[in-house]
Amino acid sequence: MMRVHRMTTSRRDFVKGAGALVLVGLAPAIVHGQGATIQLGVLTPLTGAGGFDGPRMLKAMKAVIDEVNASGGVSGRQFELVVEDDETNPEAAVRAARKLIDVTKVPAIMGTWASAVTTAVAPLCWESRTFLTTVSGADSITKLPHQGYLIRTQPNNYLQAAKHAEFIASMGVKRCYIMSIQAPFSQPTQERATEVLKQKGSQMVGGLIYDKDKTTYRSEVDQALKTNPDCIYLNGYAPDVTILLRDLYRADYKGLRFAQSYAVTSKVLESLPVEVTEGVITVQPSADIGSPAYDLAKKRLGIAEPDSYETQATDWASLVVLSIAKAKMATGTAIRDNVRKISQGNGTKVYSAVEGLKLLAQGKEINYEGASGPCDFTDIGDIIDCKFRYNKISGGKPSLLKVA
Amino acid sequence: MPPLLAEIAQLVVNGVMAGTILAVPAIGLTAIYAVLRFPNFALASHATIGAFAGYIANVKLGLPILPSVGLAFLAAGAVGVATDEVVLKQFRPAGFITTAIASIALTIALENIVRFAFGNELRGYALPIERDWRFGSIRVGPQQVQNLAVAAAAMVMLFSFLAFTRTGKAMRAVADNPMLASIKGINADMISRLVNFVGMGLAGLGGMLIGLDTTIDPLTGFRSILSVFAAAVVGGLGSIPGAVVGALTVGVGEELCLLFLSPDYRSAVGFVAILLVLTLRPRGILGQRAY
Repeated sequence: MMRVHRMTTSRRDFVKGAGALVLVGLAPAIVHGQGATIQLGVLTPLTGAGGFDGPRMLKAMKAVIDEVNASGGVSGRQFELVVEDDETNPEAAVRAARKLIDVTKVPAIMGTWASAVTTAVAPLCWESRTFLTTVSGADSITKLPHQGYLIRTQPNNYLQAAKHAEFIASMGVKRCYIMSIQAPFSQPTQERATEVLKQKGSQMVGGLIYDKDKTTYRSEVDQALKTNPDCIYLNGYAPDVTILLRDLYRADYKGLRFAQSYAVTSKVLESLPVEVTEGVITVQPSADIGSPAYDLAKKRLGIAEPDSYETQATDWASLVVLSIAKAKMATGTAIRDNVRKISQGNGTKVYSAVEGLKLLAQGKEINYEGASGPCDFTDIGDIIDCKFRYNKISGGKPSLLKVA
Repeated sequence: MPPLLAEIAQLVVNGVMAGTILAVPAIGLTAIYAVLRFPNFALASHATIGAFAGYIANVKLGLPILPSVGLAFLAAGAVGVATDEVVLKQFRPAGFITTAIASIALTIALENIVRFAFGNELRGYALPIERDWRFGSIRVGPQQVQNLAVAAAAMVMLFSFLAFTRTGKAMRAVADNPMLASIKGINADMISRLVNFVGMGLAGLGGMLIGLDTTIDPLTGFRSILSVFAAAVVGGLGSIPGAVVGALTVGVGEELCLLFLSPDYRSAVGFVAILLVLTLRPRGILGQRAY
């Protein structure tokens, strides 16, 4: 027969238990001071729409941390990544971030991908003084009142539009026309591209914003062709850009066609006859493939061509580790206050975290140059410059035109 | 031709082309409404199913376009009969709103089945893209003309079927007065299966025609359903010639608005048309008589 015990708690037991709880709560802070592991948060989409990029970004961060640990860590302290899946979903991301911030008490969270996720997680981070690194592209993100607790290595829309316009002008285009899908980025892109084209001695002769979900854009194409452009910038997504490319071909348009790589994917190229896409130029943010940091990332990851996401993740892990080393303190505020001291300025250029740690240990100033780009940040946490990869489509396949 | 006139002419030509293709699924929607008395939004996924059936016939089996178009009609029609029999029929006694909502759920389910089978990527038919013909300053696409011909042929066949065959007349009878038709011994179940077959078949045909001019993906039907619905309502929901008139009105209207409006307002034209028609002439341009 089973006996049922009455649950009784004496006052003494209670005090013991409470005391133990307090000790457990203090534990991380105490071991912190004794050279134990520094835990860093990773919050990245391992599933959902970002499920292709998240795991690869995680791998890249892990590779950097392994290398740093193998070289002895920072002042004898090793790093550990605490990984959470944001499911490419703001709700799941907020739950996971709360866990990283409240339970694990990480000084930094690295890896948010979708703009909606970053927008949801960022306030938790700045309120708890946790540093956040992201690839989300929406302009609005760095305009949040994050007090410096956020950096992004992905070029924002403003920078992208400027770079695209510079490239178009460099192709000798005199009269450019822009056709944008109705989306939050359309108007700002049109305005910025118009500005930069003018500065570069070219001209935006017109632009329109079209409705998505249309089966034909013949009349829109007519409107564009009326201005007699020698370049058309197709600023939309794959379904509509496909239709536009067809309609431009039918209208016998001979000028330059310029679009984002995500709108002219390999599937789009497969679905269209070769002659329709011949000569189209596509652009995407690129890793800095000429940089020594890129070569190091290749070796570290054991892959031939790490992409923009893998290299950005490489740079976050490196920047966070170097900031902690520079500050000699593993808190979010210390990272915030030191990240620009190790990433820009007149210090010795370094291309990996390990290399930077050596110089910092010798008391030298450093300037980390990343695999994704120079990693120089504005006051609100945007990168100042980055490389773009331009491809030209021929025979239904993209081939590298240049990285600039 | 003065430039403004040329522009208007070009827009009207584009509008007629777009409207004719829109008319095919709009007839399907309105025919089903005429007989079964609910707007069947599952038309969207059936347009997609037709487009993919045509894709299999054309790209995988290597059939030419015309037989593929026929197969798109048959496949979408067959699926239409099956889904109505299994799903929507059970909802009809619960009333018009319930059945319409069930049809929305059905369309989402079917769309996801297509997505599961084919994935999300864009696909194109094995079809060369030809440069446009130019008549003075007016541009016309050979593919559009072919689509126009297919759409027109489908409509002529449907109208002849309704006008000259016994079954067609039975269908009109049920649409006009179901009670009287049943007294006359017309089998309403048979007619509802038939109208589903023809209606959804036309949706599938329309889906493929849209795909021929563009590309297809699981959202092909969903993207155009609002314009199709607008066309049917403007012409008079339940009136088959009305669907044609409505589709042409919406098609030409959407194009002509570009003279005054930015293209991102184009979809709004369909809704403004619905609003105007429902306010000024609630029965639609041609009223609600089926034929």
